[in-house]
Amino acid sequence: MRPTGIWFESYAAEARVLETLRARLWLLALLAALVLLPAVAGPWLLGEFTNLFITLVAVYGLYVTVGMAGQINIAQSAFVGVGAFTAAKLSGMGVPIWATIPAGALAAGCISIVFALPAWRVKGFYLALTTLAAQVMFPIVILALPMSWLGGLVGMPVMPPTLFGLNLGTPTGLYFLGLFVAALATWTAFNLPRSRIGRAFRAVHDNDSAASVMGIQVTRIKIEAFFAGALYAGVAGAVLAYFLQFVTVSSFTLFTSVWYLGMLIVGGLHSPVGPILGVVFVTLLQEGLHKFANAMLQADGGLGGGTVFALSSVVLALCILIALIFEPRGLAHLWHTGMKAFRLWPFPRN
Amino acid sequence: MLTLANVDVVYGGVIQVLRAANLEVREGQMVVLLGANGAGKTTTLKAISGLLVAEHGEVTDGRITFAGRDITHADPAATVKAGLVQVLEGRKVLEHLTVRQNLLVGAHLRPDRAAVRADLDRVFRYFPALPELLDRTAGYLSGGEMQMLLIGRALMARPRLLLLDEPSMGLAPMLAQQLFDTISRINRDEGLTVLMVEQNARAAIAHCDYGYIMEGGRVVLHGSRDQLEGNQDVQEFYLGMGHGTERPSYREVKHYRRRKRWLG
Repeated sequence: MRPTGIWFESYAAEARVLETLRARLWLLALLAALVLLPAVAGPWLLGEFTNLFITLVAVYGLYVTVGMAGQINIAQSAFVGVGAFTAAKLSGMGVPIWATIPAGALAAGCISIVFALPAWRVKGFYLALTTLAAQVMFPIVILALPMSWLGGLVGMPVMPPTLFGLNLGTPTGLYFLGLFVAALATWTAFNLPRSRIGRAFRAVHDNDSAASVMGIQVTRIKIEAFFAGALYAGVAGAVLAYFLQFVTVSSFTLFTSVWYLGMLIVGGLHSPVGPILGVVFVTLLQEGLHKFANAMLQADGGLGGGTVFALSSVVLALCILIALIFEPRGLAHLWHTGMKAFRLWPFPRN
Repeated sequence: MLTLANVDVVYGGVIQVLRAANLEVREGQMVVLLGANGAGKTTTLKAISGLLVAEHGEVTDGRITFAGRDITHADPAATVKAGLVQVLEGRKVLEHLTVRQNLLVGAHLRPDRAAVRADLDRVFRYFPALPELLDRTAGYLSGGEMQMLLIGRALMARPRLLLLDEPSMGLAPMLAQQLFDTISRINRDEGLTVLMVEQNARAAIAHCDYGYIMEGGRVVLHGSRDQLEGNQDVQEFYLGMGHGTERPSYREVKHYRRRKRWLG
């Protein structure tokens, strides 16, 4: 529903993501604010933002696989790891950053295909289990390989990135790298549902027999959904490798995978706004509770450090539960209804 | 255009549903397939479009040819590519997608975007209610709107043969009548061949060129519209005529079934 006075005269205008001039100006303002942030923020805040951008890219990958195509993937963190280790190894061999990031993405994509192949025969939870296998196998394989290959138990250092003679290894450089990939991921994720393959993903999600009578090759589309999702994960991993400056298997656990899924679900599975809201909400919550717990420890209210941090996890879980109970369709739904009310004000939204 | 020759279909390796079914659809015709529940009508359509695999069914004997090609064991995507598009029973819209996205999914196999847009207008000519609904979520449409969307979506694939499975199911009689009128208009104006499964026998026969009647997995009777409308058995069993005002007693029907062996 659009407010009176806004109408479209061409197909292209109607199909636009940002329908009005005002929406485009808001986006420009947001981008300008993000670009100007390093001028005012300290390295700690920049680091937090970089981390948030990287997480956002990984969660966008899940949005494609789980949200759009409906294939549950609980190994996103392992695919991020594949991207990270690929980038680390290649950077050690002197490969420049503009090649390591796509290489990381491709490596993660190719490995995801192996675990998506069962989609040929099984679906639903059974398919989800095969992705769990990917998550479990990831550390085992890295540890089993010779130390000289991928660092084994110790891990691998990552060379600081340079691009066209510019040192990207500084907090500001990494911030802009993160901002760039996050913007790219957001742009593709918003446009994917409007493309042929994006519609095929969602058709398979909704009803695979109906999709197949429209000529969609269901198995192929499912595998492509895994591949596309893992591409995002690979990019996130490669940037994360540069950000952490050191990769070990302990950074890519099942726990992280579940968090990625949690962020996606809290944010909303079915809208590209969902990942942004989910990642920002959960990160703010985590960081806020962390700060609060630290303050509690400083004040020394008689509780031990273990108790305080356990309690902060409980509070975090409670907040997520509350968010899901009151908005089971995710924060994105809240966002969309809020936007509608804002645009139609002072008339009630229907 | 489409021929089924002695097709047997077995589900799960044990349940035989089609027994030597024979059927022919000629180019440009509107053909209906009638029969009681469980007669094998939907199975026939699924055998044609290649959807049996999803239900552990299999064509064990016979041949299905479409436009000179053997499609007996072809997969669904390949049959769509060949120009054979099915509208499934029970309003299987993609419910989380908007009406526009649903229509565009129909054109999945067509690379030419400009032609696809032109086809949207072509679909709107037959279903003038659809443009109003473009940005609505398909899952929230009414039954009649969903059925229009489904047929529109199938048209977006530019089929040569359209398979319709009970399009009038659950629709008010007047809506069903309108739907049949639209389908025959599409059949006439576009020269699109249609094979339609229906329960609503009277309306379906009135709109068809040729009809097949199935019983127990076999085609037991077939003929042109005039032949079917004039046939006494069809009148009695499907159109409920021939008894005057009095309903037939159970004994009479039993006796009748014994006389007419083909009724299984």
